[in-house]
Amino acid sequence: MQALHRVLHVEDDPSIQEVARIALEVVGGMQVASCDNGQAALGKAAEWQPDLILLDVMMPGIDGPTTLARLREQETTREIPVIFMTAKVQANEIEHYRSIGGLDVVIKPFDPMTLASQLREIWERMDER
Amino acid sequence: MSDEDVQARLAALRVQYAERLGNDLQTLMAQARELAARQRAIEPQALETLRLGLHRIAGSAGTFGLPALGQEAREMELWVQTVLETAVAPTAPMLSALSDRLCDSYRLLTDAQTPAQAESRTGDAESAEERPVRVGVMSLDASEALEQALSGFGYACRRLAAPNEWREWQPDVAVIDTASLSAASWQACTAAVPGARRILLSADGGFDARLQAVRDGADGFFTHPVDVPTLERRLRHLINMPQQDPYRVLIVDDDTELAEHFRLTLKVAGIESRVIEHPRDVLRGLREFVPDLVLIDINMPGCSGPELARLIRFDDDWLRIPLIYLSAESDAQRQAQALAQAGDDFLVKPISDVALTAAVTARAQRSRQLSQALARDGLTGLIKHPAIKELIEIEQSRTQRSGAEACVVMIDIDRFKTINDTYGHGTGDYVIRLLANLLRQRLRRVDHIGRYGGEEFVAVLPACSLDNAREAIERIRESFAQLECVAGQAVFHATFSAGVASTLDWTDAGALLEAADRAMYDAKQGGRNQVRVARNVTPQT
Repeated sequence: MQALHRVLHVEDDPSIQEVARIALEVVGGMQVASCDNGQAALGKAAEWQPDLILLDVMMPGIDGPTTLARLREQETTREIPVIFMTAKVQANEIEHYRSIGGLDVVIKPFDPMTLASQLREIWERMDER
Repeated sequence: MSDEDVQARLAALRVQYAERLGNDLQTLMAQARELAARQRAIEPQALETLRLGLHRIAGSAGTFGLPALGQEAREMELWVQTVLETAVAPTAPMLSALSDRLCDSYRLLTDAQTPAQAESRTGDAESAEERPVRVGVMSLDASEALEQALSGFGYACRRLAAPNEWREWQPDVAVIDTASLSAASWQACTAAVPGARRILLSADGGFDARLQAVRDGADGFFTHPVDVPTLERRLRHLINMPQQDPYRVLIVDDDTELAEHFRLTLKVAGIESRVIEHPRDVLRGLREFVPDLVLIDINMPGCSGPELARLIRFDDDWLRIPLIYLSAESDAQRQAQALAQAGDDFLVKPISDVALTAAVTARAQRSRQLSQALARDGLTGLIKHPAIKELIEIEQSRTQRSGAEACVVMIDIDRFKTINDTYGHGTGDYVIRLLANLLRQRLRRVDHIGRYGGEEFVAVLPACSLDNAREAIERIRESFAQLECVAGQAVFHATFSAGVASTLDWTDAGALLEAADRAMYDAKQGGRNQVRVARNVTPQT
């Protein structure tokens, strides 16, 4: 099984971007690239080919679900798994994000000390399927 | 990198985040306050901006070690979202309630940043918010009556004599009867509590006595016999005075260096400001930054200060904001011309830092008081009647969506007309305020309390079962009945009757309110001074 190594984090809040970078790079030993909007993520994902995209749901400009739809339209990014990150509003929303093609949903606020292991767990579950 | 290093980096991020969060909260507060002060309909876009801001905090505060704040933001976000979804136009009082809640969050943040300070201020584990306001009273003969009357309003009131008693208890307000005490004796006491606001009572209401009070540092002045309701109003005013969040000033000046100097000067005085270089950016600046006051340079290329002031005044939303010209213009004639066009005042450059700060603070304070006064009931400071109905609709649609029960309570003071007829309308008002204060203190922060009619109140209790609502109101009823109302020499007790209804039983806001009203009427019929619950015999499905 291929280990989770390269993560593209798409998030408009710079504080969250930075704390996630520490959480994934320093605590989790992963390689991280960050984008602050969906449009930029489309290009970065095609060029950098991450193992996984961690995608914020609510962003100015194109939001998370739309970004996912566009990623699926692009030949070079079609297969990249996407995990949504959201400040949960309602339980049925999580179901919704799974149903539109999100691998899973990480709830904000997250704990920086365990974010990496949370992603790895989801990653390994995907491989088992 | 070691675990400690990671922790250190995270800690540094937390500090950065808290700083930014403070700014974000201030902006949200200003936005909510501005919306509340508007006299016309609010477009959904403005609410959406608020919601996004809250959403951001809800999702991030917990990660940076501020989970309680994140939770608060989440609740407020849900509230705004419900408003957006139900298409009920939010009214000014609803928005000022939101603005109040944001203020609370801001305080939560500042308390979290300075825990040591917060602790020493309260002297115990209680948060500053829950601690009742402390009023120290010093008088030879009137102490007991005052203590009793003010305690009735929910203040923690104590008779204090020696300076060390004052120092130990640290009251927020000192009420001093100068008529019965020597200046030396009471001044020794107030010197022990330099931070406390001062209300002086005097036997003499003449000009000289008032002037002396001013010189003695009084924040309020009353003559014997003291009208307790007026005194209480003054107290409330004084306590609300300390600002929750810094004033905000928009500076429009093409001289960026000078503007930056002003910004820093104001910053030192604790006033937030934003500089706008091009007059054409001013409307965006107003919308985004929502200032309490605008400073406008009079000579700017492309658009003069007076032109810009008139342009701003086209929009009713900004009518309440003072527009102050800042200019080297010292010619009185031209100043008058500029003011005749629009704008409220002139500050002449060069201006000393002290003068600038003083001028800005005084006007910003007026501006903010005005916006707050617009949305609330003057007597009680509670939400005005029309807004409450909309709040009920919102809670009801929330119940329909999430199944969470909310309750509506109708409260009416018993035999109010008799109180008015016996003791006069001033006393009637006093009883209304007494109950308003009690409700404010005893209900939760998430609850909405409104004044519905003369002596009628409505409370909306979100996420609360019928049983819990009944119990809470029952406890308030007991406390209220025990309060001693003071009217001159007379002391009497007032009571209220209440009806409680649940959003689970009635799906229509009007019907729900009527049900609560009917239950309240039953309570009256049943002998008053009691709480009744409205039961729907055939629950709607």
